[in-house]
Amino acid sequence: MRPARRSALALGGGLLAALAAPRLLLANGPEVIGMRGTARGEHVWFAPVGLAVAPGTTLRFVNDDAGNSHTATAYHPAILDRPRRIPRGAEPWDSGFLLPGESFEATLTVPGVYDYHCQPHEFGGMVGRIVVGTPGTPGWQPASREPGDIPPEALAAFPPVGAILRAGRLHREDMA
Amino acid sequence: MFRKIALVSAATMLGACAAVAHDEPALMQAPPGAPYQQVSELVPLPDYIPGLGALWVDPATLPAGPFLAYDRDGRLSATVYMTPLEALRNGTAYDGLGIGAHNVSSVDVYHNAGHPGVDVPHAHVVLFHDEGARARLAE
Ligand SMILES: [Cu+2]
Repeated sequence: MRPARRSALALGGGLLAALAAPRLLLANGPEVIGMRGTARGEHVWFAPVGLAVAPGTTLRFVNDDAGNSHTATAYHPAILDRPRRIPRGAEPWDSGFLLPGESFEATLTVPGVYDYHCQPHEFGGMVGRIVVGTPGTPGWQPASREPGDIPPEALAAFPPVGAILRAGRLHREDMA
Repeated sequence: MFRKIALVSAATMLGACAAVAHDEPALMQAPPGAPYQQVSELVPLPDYIPGLGALWVDPATLPAGPFLAYDRDGRLSATVYMTPLEALRNGTAYDGLGIGAHNVSSVDVYHNAGHPGVDVPHAHVVLFHDEGARARLAE
């Protein structure tokens, strides 16, 4: 009982801190990003679609969608020969297909803007953006403006970096 | 993306000799037998998808199908078609498609953003074969 209660209190404190100061970027994760969809798959998305974290934060992508499989795949020439939209020198990641309930972790160390997508849902606009550090972090690299072969549905879905930094966690309903 | 390309080329090669689903007794209970294969064996999808059940398809008929949808007891409950919106817009027609069973109690048509196997936005056209089919497939 005691340990459980302690961790519940610790979690509550963490949530309060996050709400009070989303821009402090203190947590090193894992920060959870859900892969979601409506029951019949009309819409699919990452939740949150935009996330600001401190360098060294571990992300955990979790497929919360009972009826679909998803990937979290960095835009990078080393993966499916896509345009590079993560900082130079950063390690690209690809979860592979995650079935419902499965998850994948990646740790982002190089400061800057990381764009990623879900392979079967790129044309459905299922992309996400992670901002590691802030423009004031030494070595920070801004968002790529390289569209390459990325479809317009995906390009339109990346949240602005400023909005992510202001919100900390930005959900698709915040972007309307 | 790889898998879709593989499936599409398989469809191109096999298209000429594909059998058409047409209310055959062998289809009423899973497994439907050749040339049908379970979708979850072809692409990374769950064995049972809430709303669509266990899907089987002849790869030669991708992407449109028919996909045969079985409930948890293996009973044929729906026939499903998946038609990419972009292809329709560009003039592709999906005509003369097979149907799992002739009795159709209701039809649902809705948008799907994509999934492995048909990884572009498309329409799902779902023909339910009896009154209870929708409820059985939902779970
Ligand atoms: Cu997805």
